[in-house]
Amino acid sequence: MQFFANSDELHHVMNELWMRIGRDPDMLEKLLASKLIVQFQYREPEGRVTIDCSDGIEMRVSTGEQLLKPIVEMSMKADVAHEFWLGKVNVPFAIVSGKIVSRGPVQKALTLLPVIKPAFDIYPNVISQFKTVTA
Amino acid sequence: MNPFVFHVPTKIAFAEGAGSSTCEIVKELAGNKALIITDKPLLEGGYLTSVLEGFEDMPHVIFSDVPSDSDVDCVNTIAELARTEECDCIVAIGGGSVMDTAKVVNICLTLGGEILEYQGLNNIAEQLLPLVAVPTTAGTGSEVSMVAMVKDHTEGKKLLFGSRYLAPSVAILDPLLTVSLPPKLTAATGLDALTHAIESYVAVISNSVFTDSLCTDSARMVFENLRTATKNGADIEARSQMLVASTMAGVAFTNSGVGVVHALAHSMGAKFGTHHGIANSIFLPHGILFNMDIAAERYARLARMVGVSKSTKDLTATKDLLDAIEQLCIDCGLPRRLRDAGVPELNNSDIEELVVLAVSDPAIMFNPKDCSEKDIQELYERAY
Repeated sequence: MQFFANSDELHHVMNELWMRIGRDPDMLEKLLASKLIVQFQYREPEGRVTIDCSDGIEMRVSTGEQLLKPIVEMSMKADVAHEFWLGKVNVPFAIVSGKIVSRGPVQKALTLLPVIKPAFDIYPNVISQFKTVTA
Repeated sequence: MNPFVFHVPTKIAFAEGAGSSTCEIVKELAGNKALIITDKPLLEGGYLTSVLEGFEDMPHVIFSDVPSDSDVDCVNTIAELARTEECDCIVAIGGGSVMDTAKVVNICLTLGGEILEYQGLNNIAEQLLPLVAVPTTAGTGSEVSMVAMVKDHTEGKKLLFGSRYLAPSVAILDPLLTVSLPPKLTAATGLDALTHAIESYVAVISNSVFTDSLCTDSARMVFENLRTATKNGADIEARSQMLVASTMAGVAFTNSGVGVVHALAHSMGAKFGTHHGIANSIFLPHGILFNMDIAAERYARLARMVGVSKSTKDLTATKDLLDAIEQLCIDCGLPRRLRDAGVPELNNSDIEELVVLAVSDPAIMFNPKDCSEKDIQELYERAY
């Protein structure tokens, strides 16, 4: 059974997670320095989360379809994303086995992996708060 | 045991003189008109006569202007030629640059559109045209790998393409085609193969029993044959062993990944044009020392299996492996420091740029130990 019941749930959780990441000065500084626009494309359920750091000043988080053209796209099942944020995904294995598909200069996005690791501690709180709200 | 996926999409054929059967293999793959991609020194030196004779009764077109550091412009030029000539299969004869170029040309030719649209990992989801790879060096493993890199000189970056569909359909291993390789390149490419084997073996989160076997045997074959292949290039047995070892290590790394040594070497190649094999040979001992505190057991096991150590103590066996690599490099005449390989003195700005390149190299993700920017900087300084 998939973790997120529908796209709204998925968007709500991911939006909240990225908003909290944006409130962490260390993570924010490094994300802005990348000047990347990364779009996460999820399936089962469908979802789109776009993180726009292109101006290096402000990180904008948006969900759903976007006109903005991402620099890097990362596609995966929403359950893979859930496991990732719990720190349970072996990223090299997920790439080798095709569970994660990337499009664009993936090298840039990979440099952000260590940067966003502290968010693994934030995610369980986001999930528990979300469950409390929706229960 | 690690979870693993192990692909060998490429059919591998080895024989002395196997290159002369390239055309037959192309026909088996239902090719009607072949695009042959190679480089000028190989073509003009007459080294490809045995391969090309087979194509006398088959329509084909030859492109021989692939530079040693191939780029997007070269790929687009070849793809345009192939479309005009209506080629339906590709033959790549050469080293890593030729084979990587051919893989990216295959994407353009099969899928059309802009090349930049296809960079990434697992981003190609359909079968490409048949591609036959005939390596003339023993080191890159590109003849069996599922990745390709070409430069975008406009942006000053390397573009990475990774998909199981990129792997050549067939790899033809003919040791006779490697005898013209000069000693220095034989040694450097051989150390590239050894680095693939060692880094794949310790890529602890992605290796498997399949890749382990390929790594240990290929490393042993390099230790046993590289000196002879370097000093006596006409020794066909040594050339054969090296060619097969290189392909085995290629199968291993395309499944398990490489590590920090490759990340450092790629950056040095991008910034200073340092030969990939030479850079690997210089960084390899430093990479092992860096990883030693968490991977000594793996290095030690490898050292025992390739026959360079009998010690039961992991640290001693790893030290034996380091000594064996050092001696192999010295015996093959390879420089041991970056400064001896023509790299100018590294200033702060150089190091900063190199560090950015290395930490963003996908190879680093497979390294058994996390590398900080400071770690990378120290590795450059030690290797200089």
